[in-house]
Amino acid sequence: MVHEDYKEMIPARALSALDAAEARVLNEHLENCAECRKELDEWEATAATLSLTADAAEPSPAVRERILSEIEKDISNAQVIPFRSTQRSIWTSFGSLGAMAAVVLLTALIVGLVVMWRENRAQQQTLAQMKEFMELVGTPGARVRELTGMDAAPGATAKLAYDKTGHAMLMANKLPKLPSGKAYQLWFIVGKNPPMPGKTFVPNASGQSMSKDQMPKEALDAGVFAVTVEPESGSAAPTSPIYLRSSEIN
Amino acid sequence: MRPEPAQENDVELLKAIVARDEVALAQLYDRYRVILFGLLMRILNNREEAEDVLQEVFLQVWRKAEDFDEDRGRPFTWLVTLARSRGIDRLRTLGARERVAEASAREVPEEVSDAATDAFKSEQRGIVSDALAKLPDEQKRPLMLAYFDGLTQSEIATHLGAPLGTVKTRMRTGLIRLRELLAGQGESFGF
Repeated sequence: MVHEDYKEMIPARALSALDAAEARVLNEHLENCAECRKELDEWEATAATLSLTADAAEPSPAVRERILSEIEKDISNAQVIPFRSTQRSIWTSFGSLGAMAAVVLLTALIVGLVVMWRENRAQQQTLAQMKEFMELVGTPGARVRELTGMDAAPGATAKLAYDKTGHAMLMANKLPKLPSGKAYQLWFIVGKNPPMPGKTFVPNASGQSMSKDQMPKEALDAGVFAVTVEPESGSAAPTSPIYLRSSEIN
Repeated sequence: MRPEPAQENDVELLKAIVARDEVALAQLYDRYRVILFGLLMRILNNREEAEDVLQEVFLQVWRKAEDFDEDRGRPFTWLVTLARSRGIDRLRTLGARERVAEASAREVPEEVSDAATDAFKSEQRGIVSDALAKLPDEQKRPLMLAYFDGLTQSEIATHLGAPLGTVKTRMRTGLIRLRELLAGQGESFGF
């Protein structure tokens, strides 16, 4: 494929309308071609004007309040003493155990961390997330799938828990550091259909992440779950190698 | 090209947000909420979902404002692209693509309401709508299905019952034509 072939694909890329294979090929080219990246920026500016054809609409005042409230929490958390090694041990341990063993381990750890709980709000948040994860695992009909690191992420592990309504939580550990502007994205694969996109997530500095998702109804029958690296805003189709993958269930 | 005052101001707001200035975020929200919420309503056709995504967008702006690169484009483009991307993601998560694809037949609204607090005045909305109205329907529909419904070229080909190659050509030609029509308004649109 020559340079002009790539340039022809850029307008469709600005509309994120390329099919997965084409998007992958063009994305690889964009990494090494400043001229095409600049052209994409220009086409994205054109595409963005289409937003002006939507009717103007006023959100409820509650949205503004919720945003500012969340920001306040961010600011408060930023002033809290950061995690030390205790947090890492929780995650590392979890990755190697089955669901039942994890329940026992987490219960013990939660009890052991009660004192520190009062001292560190960030730990409170992690413990709350783990509690929520275990409650989800304990929901009647809930499933837990293990994902293991592929060549791009050796040593990485994750557990995906989801209930019959599609409420899902992904707990991941030892994920590689992301390039700037990138995020991990979960995918649901049903049979031979194209992967269905899940949410993006960004792990902390230790490669750990706990994220929530609402699976599409069709994804409840997914035989395979996978994680790739995508732009922060997410992709419609995977554009990178698989970092984490579950075994296949027929 | 000399930036518009609003754009210059938006850049300053984003810099202030990077420096953890809550008031700057509130100002940016007040300036863009109407246009971004209108976009999300058009994509999702559901007020509750659109408000939820709007909240996600501005929280992302708060947490990732440093990702905005002034050399790559205007704050307007960055914010709209961010909102549209998250809106399409939510649409897919909801599994509502087919339903909304049907709704997309509404095309460009006949009239757009004016919002005094919005970053873009009705004049600019009118310019884009007028330019789009000059495109043949066969070029306009692929653009709208891609932009508001998040369909890929293959999906659009299936949806319209047209060959994939034809859809690719029409989409590309349509966007090129739109840019040409707007180029005369370069001072307003930043290209």
